[in-house]
This record gives sequence, structure tokens and C-alpha cells, in this order.
Amino acid sequence: MTDSAYIVVVEKDLEDLVPVFMNNRKKEIETLRAALAALDFEQLRQLGHRMKGVGNSYGFGKVSELGSGIEDRARSEDRAALDALIVDYADYLARVKVVYE
Amino acid sequence: MRILIIDDDEDLRNLLAHYIKQEWPQAEVEEFDPLVRDMPDERFPLGEYDLMILDYMLGRGDGLEWLHAFKKRVECPPVLFLTGAGNEIIAVRAMKAGASDYQRKQELTRERLITSIRDLTHDAAATTLSPELAARMEGHMLGERVRISGFRILRLIGEGGMSRVYLASRDRDDEPLVVKILRSEATADKNALARFMEEYALVERIKSRHVARIYGHGVSEGHAYLVMEFFDGGDLNKRLGGRASVPQEALRIFRELMFALGDIHECGILHRDLKPQNLMFRSDGSLAIVDFGIAKHVDSIDRTGYGEIVGTPRYMSPEQVRGMALDLRTDIYSSGVLLYQMLSGKHLFDGESAVEVALQHLNKPPPALEENLSQYQRLLDKLLEKDRDARFRNADEVIGFLARKYQQF
Repeated sequence: MTDSAYIVVVEKDLEDLVPVFMNNRKKEIETLRAALAALDFEQLRQLGHRMKGVGNSYGFGKVSELGSGIEDRARSEDRAALDALIVDYADYLARVKVVYE
Repeated sequence: MRILIIDDDEDLRNLLAHYIKQEWPQAEVEEFDPLVRDMPDERFPLGEYDLMILDYMLGRGDGLEWLHAFKKRVECPPVLFLTGAGNEIIAVRAMKAGASDYQRKQELTRERLITSIRDLTHDAAATTLSPELAARMEGHMLGERVRISGFRILRLIGEGGMSRVYLASRDRDDEPLVVKILRSEATADKNALARFMEEYALVERIKSRHVARIYGHGVSEGHAYLVMEFFDGGDLNKRLGGRASVPQEALRIFRELMFALGDIHECGILHRDLKPQNLMFRSDGSLAIVDFGIAKHVDSIDRTGYGEIVGTPRYMSPEQVRGMALDLRTDIYSSGVLLYQMLSGKHLFDGESAVEVALQHLNKPPPALEENLSQYQRLLDKLLEKDRDARFRNADEVIGFLARKYQQF
């Protein structure tokens, strides 16, 4: 982890949608944590799959990348790796800055 | 136009609706959340929609099951099915179940969505305005006409100057495959057709994991076709995305390319048309070369066809530009051009026209790599020698060099 911000450039016309998207991602962190605490790997897999599908569409490639990792690790029920990925995700969301162009 | 979007992800629904409303402000878009609503039953007015966009993972249900149920109803509109990347077997099943098109979610852009909707709804304005749409429609119709025993053609996924490329499936196991169909103008040229058949017969005999697997070829309805492996990892062009690779990854891919060339050259075959679009990746990251023998076709088509020529001269060897007899060192040079592009993220030579680019292979020294990549300069210099006698003689020499200099084993 570093202190630097992640800059994501998003199309200007998506400006109205991105706050909802970001809000849903923050809620997702809580759901991911709860699913991991409950060892609900199927839900983790589904959440990872959803992140993978939606991240790139909005220009947040990192969300897709982390989602892909969560989906894979949920399949192998790798708790430690999932925990680390969720920490990375929370860190990313805390530091991401959106620039509209 | 009325469009129904069924997806469990609010953000994706919002985004798709936004793109649609931007393109068609009068369109009515209904978002259906399968997490809070059950699968629509027979009372649901499916026939009132012009198009349905349906995800395959619905949170509480399976999009394929929903698709099967919808398609039992005659009033079901065309369905655009959303799948995950690398999951072509789902796409194959969806198309077999009656979906009219599919898109990989991770790669779904505004342009792809709009193009697909135009295709599926036969958007009147686009039909009269866009020659591209007319060409695509022709491609779709061709795919429907051609019949290949044991395989089913599902969807047009790409077009080149020489051929059209379709996603297909094998009847016995739904394995996703690619069918390439030679364009009718090329099929009509008896010499071109003979070369196509002859060269692919050669390729079928190369048993190498670095070469696309060929499952059959022949002629159907007057169209020459080829059935080959589907690559869910995409091509090098897509992988690079206009950027440089991490040097270690570039070197790994390059080394795989050298093994591929070694296998091909051993069979007496020159590729002659190496370029990023012809290097494909499997889901495990392994590389395979495609489009053998097409270079001859491309040369003949390029003189009259616009489009294919754009990429090709960038990777030509000097002797190719001069029209000399070629040997395997031509592929070594083209591989060097590819390595330069992977390392630097730039084309070796740029220019206003294809001719200008091609001539630089004859006259202009290759640009030096940036200082942080200088350890690869000697390798590149020896790959990109304009005098082929000074170049690496074959892939084995390059592999040996990689092992000695970069500990690539």
C-alpha cells in the first residue's frame, strides 16, 4: 500500500452515474466482509463476478481486476487471499480520485 | 423503441440505460432487477419490447434458464445476452438457446452496445446511413447460409479484408470454435482459393501447441471455410492496448513466439504476416500463431482492398518490401518489430501512408530503446538488421541468445 491517490479518468457524461456507482462499491465492501466472516464463498464468488463485470464498464479497471481475484479465490475458498483482496479493495476505494473528461 | 434490461447489477443497468437514452432519447428503457422480482411468467408482456438485454448470472437465477423460458414464447423479442469474458461456452449455449447476439460484459463499450442494438432492432435510420451496418448484415446472412457438418455457426465476430470470422460451436460438446469464411471475391479467385486450401492443409499437419488447432476446412455453398481453435485470451493487439508491456512479460511472449516460429519453420513454412492481430492467447496465457498463408492473399487484396494494408507494412522485413525471395529470416525481422512494440509501446516506424512506413524498413535505422530498456537493445539490433545475413539466422539462435543474455529458459 502507498499513500498516493489512484486517478481514474471517466467520461464527462457519466458524472451523474459515478456517485451511485461509488456508493454501491462502498456498500460492497461491507457485504464482502460479512460474506467472508460467514465463510459464504458462493456469495463472495458472485460479488467478485459482479465487480469484474461492472468495473471496466465505468472505467475502473482496478475494480474488475480485484473482482476477478475475489471470484477466483472464492472458488478455491482461500480465506487469507480473500481477506487481503478485500483490504486492497477498501484501500483502493479510500484513495481513488475521479477525474471527468 | 422499448428495451428491457434484466441484470442484477444496478450500476450496469444504469449504465446501459444511459447509453441507450443518449443514442435514442425517445427510447423507453425498463430496468428489471432479478434480485427483487421473480422470473416473469406468461402474463409478463414480452411482446411489448423491441429488445431484451439479459445477463447470465442473475443473483437468484440462471440467465440461461430464463432465456429458455422466454424463447418458448413466440412474442419474445430479440435477446442480447451478457456473458463474462473467457466464458464463451455460455455464449455458445445462449446463442443455441435463441439469443440473437452476445456481449462480454467486461468489454462492453458504448459503441459495442449501440452497434449490437442497431443490428438487432434493424434501426431504420442506421440501415439507410451506415455502409458498415449493411456489410455486417451481409456477413450475418453469409454465416446463416454456410453449413458445416458437426459445427454450428453462431455469430459474426470479426471481419478482415480476406475473410469473415464467426463464433461457432461443435455439436457434440458445445466447444466454442472459430469459423473463418473466405470472402466471396477471394473465393472466386481460383488461385487464391487453391492457396487457401493448400496452405491450411499444411498447417493442419503442424502439431504444435504454438499454432492454432485446425479442426477442418472445406467449401460450403461456394464459400471456402476453416474451422479452428477459439482463443479466449484475445490477441496481442488487444493485450497491449496501445501500451508497452512489462519487459519480463514482453520477453516471455517473445520467447514463446520464437518457439512457435521454430515449429513452423521446421515444417518449411514461413508465416510472412506476423503482426499483433495474428498472435493469439489462450486463457492460460500460452501463445499461438494464426493466419498462415494469408499473407499472400493479403498482398493481392491489399492492392484493391482498403483496411488490411494499414497494419501489415509495419511488420514487413526489408526483403519483403523489396519483393525479394523470402526465407525464414523475414519472420525473425517481423518478430523484432513486434518485440520493439511490446517493449516501447510504440510502432517501430510511423508514417502518413503504408508506403512511407514500408520504405523506412529499407532506409531508416530503428529508433533506440529508452535508457531503462537498453539491456534489450543488442537483441533488437540483431533482430532488426536490414541485411538479413547479419540477422539471427533462425529461431533457435534467438532462443539461445535469450538463454545466455537474459536467463530465459
